[in-house]
Amino acid sequence: MISHRQANAQRIAALDERAEALHLKRGMGIADARAMHPSIDVVEADPEADRRLLESLADWCDRYTPLVAIDAADGLFLDVTGCTHLFGGERAMLDDILSRFFHQGFDVRAGLAATPGAAWAAARFSGDRIVPGGEEEALLAPLPLAALRIGPDIRASLESVGLRTAGAVMAAPRAPLARRFGTSLLLRLDQALGRLDEAVSPRLPVAPLSVERHLAEPIMLTDEIERLVKMLATTLKADLERRGEGARRLALLLFRVDGAVSRIAVGTSRPLREPLLIQKLFHERLAALEQDIDVGYGFDLVRLSVLSAAAFDMQQADLTGETRDDGADIALFADRIRARLGESAVLKPVAVESHLPERAVAMLPYAEAPQRVSPPKKPGKIQDTSSKPVFRPERPIRLFRSPEPIEVPATEMPEGPPLNFRWRRALYRVARAEGPERIAPEWWREAAGPEDAPTRDYFRIEDSDGRRYWLYRQGLYGASQLPPRWFMHGVFA
Amino acid sequence: MTPLDSSGALWNLLEHSRNNCEWKLTVMATSAVARETVFALRRQIAKIEGTLPERLQAPAGAAPVDADVTPRDPTADVTPGDLTIVRRGLAVAPPDAFLRTGAEGLDAALSGGLPKAALSEIHGAATRDAGAVAGFALSLVSLILKQGPRLPVLWIGTAEIFREAGFPYARGLHRLFGIEPEQLLFSEAPRLLDALWTAEEAARMTALAAVILEIRGSPQRLDLTATRRLHARARSAGRPVFLLRQAGEPEPTAAPVRLVLSAAPSAPRETIAGPLAGSIGRPAFTVSIGKSRTALPGQFTLEWNPDERSFEERRAKEGRARQERAANPVAVVSASRRGKNPAPASGAVLAFPTVGSPAAGDQPSPGERAAHRRPRRAG
Repeated sequence: MISHRQANAQRIAALDERAEALHLKRGMGIADARAMHPSIDVVEADPEADRRLLESLADWCDRYTPLVAIDAADGLFLDVTGCTHLFGGERAMLDDILSRFFHQGFDVRAGLAATPGAAWAAARFSGDRIVPGGEEEALLAPLPLAALRIGPDIRASLESVGLRTAGAVMAAPRAPLARRFGTSLLLRLDQALGRLDEAVSPRLPVAPLSVERHLAEPIMLTDEIERLVKMLATTLKADLERRGEGARRLALLLFRVDGAVSRIAVGTSRPLREPLLIQKLFHERLAALEQDIDVGYGFDLVRLSVLSAAAFDMQQADLTGETRDDGADIALFADRIRARLGESAVLKPVAVESHLPERAVAMLPYAEAPQRVSPPKKPGKIQDTSSKPVFRPERPIRLFRSPEPIEVPATEMPEGPPLNFRWRRALYRVARAEGPERIAPEWWREAAGPEDAPTRDYFRIEDSDGRRYWLYRQGLYGASQLPPRWFMHGVFA
Repeated sequence: MTPLDSSGALWNLLEHSRNNCEWKLTVMATSAVARETVFALRRQIAKIEGTLPERLQAPAGAAPVDADVTPRDPTADVTPGDLTIVRRGLAVAPPDAFLRTGAEGLDAALSGGLPKAALSEIHGAATRDAGAVAGFALSLVSLILKQGPRLPVLWIGTAEIFREAGFPYARGLHRLFGIEPEQLLFSEAPRLLDALWTAEEAARMTALAAVILEIRGSPQRLDLTATRRLHARARSAGRPVFLLRQAGEPEPTAAPVRLVLSAAPSAPRETIAGPLAGSIGRPAFTVSIGKSRTALPGQFTLEWNPDERSFEERRAKEGRARQERAANPVAVVSASRRGKNPAPASGAVLAFPTVGSPAAGDQPSPGERAAHRRPRRAG
C-alpha cells in the first residue's frame, strides 16, 4: 500500500489486491486504515520514480510504434495506426503487449479504439477490449462519467443533476450542457466519439527513417550488435539514396528482453550513408559505453533510426574510381573521436573580431564549425590589402584559459613592466620587457562599471633564462584604493 | 615466464641499454677516443640486435651529408650516391625522407634532418618551457606546410597539459608560423588513455600534415610499446608525429630522435638602424639532441624567422651579418641612440654636406635642418 500526503493528511494513494480485499479504498486516511488493520504495510509515494518508470515503459513501447505519449501519471497512449499488421493484427498486437507486460511483472489494462478518448475509456473501464470504429457510442453509454476524462468538479455537478452515465450525458441536449458545464465536457465527448480530432503528442520526435530487426534469439555480444548495425545500415542506405540524403544524426535502440531500452546516438559532421562508416561510428560509441550498457539477458529488437538527415552531395570519382577527399577522412575521424569522447572532443578554432585576446578565438566543436572558409586565392590577382590590419600585434602561442594571478613586488616605473615576479611559487627575473599594449574592455558588449572590467596593460617579458611571457596589469595605479593586480596570460615561443 | 615474455623483457632491456648508452653520450667528451668507444658500442648493439649497423662514420659537421654514405644493405640494388642512410629494419631511406630544419649544424648532426615519417620526441625540462617546446614543434610543422599541401594539423593534448601550460592560441600561431586557424584541429582528452587512443587513430591518417601529441610528466602508459605503436603508424602514413613531453624524464622510446628544447634569449629586434636595444626579437630555441641513432650529442641555438618561415642558426647568422656589414660598410641611417657611445657612421652621408657631427645622437639642431634643405635649393 502506498500513501501520499494530501490536504495535510496521509492518505492512501494506491493499494494492491490484498489491501483491496480488506475493504481499504483510495483516498482513505492512513490513520483510519491502520485503525482497521494494524498490520498493513505503508510505503511513502515517490512520484518521481513513478514517472521514470513510466518513461522507461514508454521507451519500451517504442517497439510497437514510434508515436508513444504519456498520459497523466499512470497511462500511455500508443498511436498504432498502420502498425498493427506488423504484429499480425489488432488482437495479436494487444495480446503481445499484454503478455510481454505481464512477463515483466506489470498489471496492465489495455484498450484499442479508433479515438484516444474511447481507447482510454475502454482500457480503464471495460478491460482489454478492442472497440471497432463507429461503436464508440455503444462502448461509452453504460460507463460512468469518469470515463469521459472530465474533471471531478464537472462530474460532481453532472451527478447532482442526475446524469450518472456517459450515455445520459450523450442523450441530453447539447446547448444547455455547454451553457451549464462549459465547453470542455462537450469537447471530451466529441473527441471520444470521433467527431473531433484529437492529436496524441508523442514524447520523442519521429525519426524520418528507421529500420529494425526482431530477433528470435536475443543477442548479447558487442560484435553481434555491430554486425547487426551494419546490416541495418545497408538497408537504410537504399532509403537514404532514394531520398538523396545522408544521415546527420543516428540513433541505435536496443530493446532488452526484460524491457529496458538503451538508446545510443551518434552525430556526424557530414551527411553519411556508407554502412561501414556507420558501423565504425557505433563501434566507437559502443566501446565508450561498454561500462554503461547492461546487456542482461540480451537484446531481442535492434532498431537503427535516422534522427536527422541532410542533402548528400555526390562526388565525382576520378578515372581510377577513387574520390580523393581529405576533408571526408578528417570528418570521419572527428566523428569517431566524438562518438568515443564526447561532443567537444575535436575542436576547431574560429577567429572572432574582438580586442580581448581570450575572446578573439572561439573554439567550436568540429561538426559545428564552418566547413569551408575562403576560396583559395588566385595568384594573378592583386591582393586586397585594405582589409588586413596594418599593425599586427604580437600574440602568444599559448594562452591560459583563465589568467593566472602573479605577485609583482616592484616595478621600475609605476606604469612600467615589473622587475621580477612570482608565478606558481617560482621567482622570475625580468631581463627585457616590451610594452605596454593597452587593451581596453569592450564597453559595447557589457554594461559594466569602471571597476568591473579595468583596462589591461600587456607586457612582453623575457626572463633571465630566455623564456618569454605575456603579462598584464589590470587597472592603473592611483585609480582606486587597491593596487592594480598582475596576471600571467600567455607564453610566447 | 613464457618465451614470448622473456623476449619482450629482453627487448625492453636492450632498448633501455641503448637509451642509457646514448644518454651517456651527452656527458661524454667528444674526443676521438670516446668516439671510437661509442662506435664500437654501437656495432656491438647492432650485432646483438641482429640488424645491420647503421651509418657508423662520424657525421662530419662540415662535410656534405650524403657524400660518404654507402648503403650497407646488400640486397638493395641502388647506387650509393642516391642514398642517405640505412636504418634499422633494412629500410633504405630516400633523401626526401628527412625534414631539413635549415640549420646546417643541426641537419648535419641528424644526418639530413628529422625523419619525416616517424615519431619524434621533443622534450622540455619543465612545464614553463612549454612555449619553447610548442614553438619548436610548430616551426617544424610550418616547414612541412611550406613544402607540402595545406593539410590540417591536429594537436592532441590532455586536459592537464592544456590547463598547466595554456591552450594553443590560434592568433599567435598564425602570426608566427603562418598556420591558418582553419588548418588547426585540437583534441582535448580528459585522460591520458583517451589522448593516446586519439593519437594512434590520428597517426595513421594521411589527410593530416602533422600530428602533435602533448603529454605532461612521465606517465606509465607512455612506454616503449605505446611509442612503438605511434612510430609504426607514423611511418606507414609517411607523416611525422611529434610527441611533446613537458617536464618528462628521458625514458626508453621508439622514436628515432629525441630533442631537448629550452628557450634561448632572443636577439633584439632588427631595425633599419640596427638592433633595437632592450627589445625582444624573434623566437630563439636551444636544441640539444637527447637521442638519435646517428648523431652525436650536440647543442644548437636556432632562431625562427617568422617572415621567411625558416630557421637560422644563431652562430651562422652573426657571421653573415658581419659579412653583410663588410660588404656594405655605409650605414644607411645613423643609429641615433640617446646617450653615450653613439655609433659613428662610417663614410660620408650622401647628398647632404656634413655639418658638425652627422651621427651625433640627439635631435638634429636647427642648423642641421637648414643644411638639409640647402642642396635641394641649389639643385
